[in-house]
This record gives sequence, C-alpha cells and structure tokens, in this order.
Amino acid sequence: MEREQFREKLASAASMPKDVVLGAAVTTILGRNEVCIENYRGIIEYTDTLIRVAVKGSQIRLTGKRLQVEYYTNDEMKITGKICTLEFADGRNDD
Amino acid sequence: MIRSLIRYLKGYVKIRVEGYSPERFLNMCCFHHILIWGLYPADGSYELYMQLSGFRRIRPFVRKTHTKVTVLERFGFPFFLARYRRRKLFFGGLLLCIFLIYGYSLFIWDIHFEGNERWTDETLTEFLASEGVAPGMLKRTVDCPEIVKEIRTAYNDIVWVSASIDGSRLKIQIKENDDTFRKDTVSSGTGSSGTASSDGQNPEEIETAGEGDATDLIASSDGTITEIITRSGVPQVHAGDQVKAGDILVLGRIEVKNDSGEVIGYQYQHSDADIYADTQMEYSDSVPLTEPEKTYDGKKRFQFFFRFFGWTASVGTVRNSFENCEIYTKEIQMKAGENFYLPFSFGFKEARSYTAEERTCTQEELQKKLSLNFRRFCEDLEEKGIHIRGNSVKIHIGENSADASGTIYLNERITREADTEILTIERKEPDEPVGTDD
Repeated sequence: MEREQFREKLASAASMPKDVVLGAAVTTILGRNEVCIENYRGIIEYTDTLIRVAVKGSQIRLTGKRLQVEYYTNDEMKITGKICTLEFADGRNDD
Repeated sequence: MIRSLIRYLKGYVKIRVEGYSPERFLNMCCFHHILIWGLYPADGSYELYMQLSGFRRIRPFVRKTHTKVTVLERFGFPFFLARYRRRKLFFGGLLLCIFLIYGYSLFIWDIHFEGNERWTDETLTEFLASEGVAPGMLKRTVDCPEIVKEIRTAYNDIVWVSASIDGSRLKIQIKENDDTFRKDTVSSGTGSSGTASSDGQNPEEIETAGEGDATDLIASSDGTITEIITRSGVPQVHAGDQVKAGDILVLGRIEVKNDSGEVIGYQYQHSDADIYADTQMEYSDSVPLTEPEKTYDGKKRFQFFFRFFGWTASVGTVRNSFENCEIYTKEIQMKAGENFYLPFSFGFKEARSYTAEERTCTQEELQKKLSLNFRRFCEDLEEKGIHIRGNSVKIHIGENSADASGTIYLNERITREADTEILTIERKEPDEPVGTDD
C-alpha cells in the first residue's frame, strides 16, 4: 500500500497522467445512458442488469436496466442502457 | 458509415457463446485484439458480432474456456460472393462491365473547345477530323503538341492553343487574336462588299499583301478628318480637312533631299495610319404595303422516321393533295457528349396545309418594320466599328408606298490602300567644265 501511495505522490509531483503511471481505470459517464471504461482488465460478469468489470486493484459494479456492451476492445469498452449505480468494490472476490 | 462499410466488405458474423466461462472467452478475444461489438446477454449466454477474420482465430479460445460457439447469422460481402458463386453469368457480366469500362476509357469520346468565338466548334471539329483527330480515336494516339502545332499553323489569328486530355475528353483551349479580328472586320466593312468574303481570308495575307510594294492610303469616301495617327508614310492631311473620295491621305513616298534642299531620290514604304473622318451615308429603305399571310386550315400529315447510316425507316407519309402546303422537318441526331455524333437520327416531317392571302399592313406595322430594318442596319454598322453620330432618317407612309430615307452621319475609318506612284528623278548632267575659247 505504501508503495501505491508513493507512486501516486510521484505521479502528482511529476504531473504525469495517473492512468498511465498507476494503471488507473478511466471511467467516463455520459448522461444516464452511456458509460465508457478504459484501462480495464476484463469482464467478470455480464447480465442485462449488472456488469462487473475488473480494473487494477478493484472492480467496477455497474447496475442498471437493458445494459448492453456496444463494443469491446483491448483498451476500451462502451456500455449503454439505463444506468442506476456505479460502485467500486474492493478486491477481486469481494461481491 | 465508413466503419460499417469496411465491416461489410470484410464480412462479420453474429455468434452465440455459451458454456462454462463465456466471460473468459470474451476477455481472451479482447486480449488477442479481436473486435467485438453488439454484445448482449441472452438466457445465460452472450450474443455478439465478430469480424470474420477474428472468427477464424477463436477455436483455441473456445477449447480453453470450454464454451460453445454457434453462428447465428452471416453478414458481408464474402458471404454474398459465396452465396452467389454458382451464378456464373452474373460474375461474367461483372467482369465484362469492368473490362468494357477499361476498354472504353482507352478512347477519346469527346472534343471540347474553350475560348473560341470567331471559329465555331463545328469548323474546328471538321479541321481536326481532317487531321485525323476525331472522337472515337485511341487515347494513346493523340499527340497533343502536334494538334497544337497544326491549329497554330492553320489559323493565324489563333494566338495560343493548349490541348490536354481530361479523362476521355480532349480539351482544347484557344485564345484568339482580338485585334486581328477587329481590324479584319473594319477593313471588310469599309469595302462595298459584305463581310462574307473576309471570313475565309487569312489575316496574314492582308499584312503581307503590301509588303515590299509601296502603298499610299487614300480616302474611300468624302468626309472631314477628325483624327489622324500616322505610323508610317507622310501625312498629307490634318484633322479638320475636307477630303474627297480618292484623295491621298498618307503618301508612301518620302523625299530624300540633299543639303541644298533639292530632291535627290525617293524612299518608298507601306503606309500605315489610323484616320477617322466624319462622313455621311444616304439611307433608303422601302417595304411593300401588303404581305402574304398564311392561314392554316388545320390539315396535317405526319411522317416519323429513323435514320441509321444511310438507311431510313419511316412510318406515315407527307404526300398530299393540298393546294398549298409547307413541310416542316425536325431531325435529332444522337450524340454522345458534346461533339461525338452517332450515326442514328430520328425525327418527323409534317405537311401543313394553308391558304395564302395578301394582307394590307396597318400603318403601325409598317412603321415598326421600317424602324426595325433601320435599327438592324445601324447595329451592323456599329459592329463594323463605325460610330454613328446622328441621322436624319424619316419614315414616310403614303397610300402606295412605305419608305424610310435620309442621311446617316458617321465617324469611320476612311483609309483604303492604293499603289504609290513611282517617280524617278532625272539625274542632271554635271556641268561641263567651261572651256576657254581663247
């Protein structure tokens, strides 16, 4: 953890982008119907009401209705549908 | 739009992934850069679209993740080709189409002229055809510099030509010499004959005609000189002088004098000057009081025809028993592009029956006709570069005649070339030395 904090401080001090240095996920929410996630590891679970995406050190839980993955490439995925919540859950097995 | 076109061309499939760990399958696809879109969960499985090239690489992932992949639908051009692979004529037609387009693109199909005013498209097309340049010729046999050279040689008043091939069209841009055109028109206008004779005349001939020979400029009509600009020769008149037809205006003979002022010889040259003078011209015109009028009685006969080379097929006839009839023909020749005439034409002939009667014109109509004639006459003069200062033309309409007469006051060039009289000087015998008789 100390190592993570050190890295974060270093990134802030050097004004370097954290998504590159720390591998942090970039999540862009556009309105209520579109979420774009970059820098992710992979999909853990996918139904039309819940999507779990693994990112570095945690996972993103996205709940909603009629969720659909518009496209799915190595660096970016776009999810559309009616989004209700977006939360970060610690650890890979924390569910 | 472009993305979906590329997808269509490359081909894509809609598949269903089900089994133990479809998510892992998705992640593996993603890791190996296989593009996936339209992912949707359906009854414990996933439906998604995948590119054809990606689909060919997923077999190991399927095995590794213990999933089952079912192809639901196929889209795109590769599948289209596969579906219609038995339609040999279709592909034959496609190939033929490509071949024909390529084949036709090897020829010149149209010749386009730009910038020509004096020389019509038809004249130039005819000239080029006589030189072997015509629509339908092979593109690689077109020699643009040669065409340019030929046009420049044949037409002296075309001062600049450019020929270029633009697709299957030969584009010829021309710049005509406006000065020669004007000079030529004016010189023909001052003569008594019409302009028709000057059209075929080569401008160079006009220039070289007097070269070598000494010429004077003489007045072609009576008038008062208003302006004289002499370029070569000795002017004999001044602005304001009255001249008569035949008077010498500029002399092409220059006297050479010795120190004591005696003329010892002559130098001859081709006189050149712009001399304008106020002149007068008598104008008279008359029109008949009656004019023939045709009354059509509505009886008509038609003949439709189609012509192919010299062969004609027609329907109907224009043969008739009408007392008077006029035949009206309309023929349309098919052409591709602007100048490429095809050997097909079609049209129709129409015979209209009429009765001819002499009708007396009203005063207004006569006046209108005479005015129109006069206006056209003036326009013709203006076109020839003659300035009209005024006129005293009056229209008289009597019981037996309708005429317009009067004088038009003009300002025009009045020069005409004439040979210079060649004078010889008798050389005086040198004085005999005075002998001494004593």
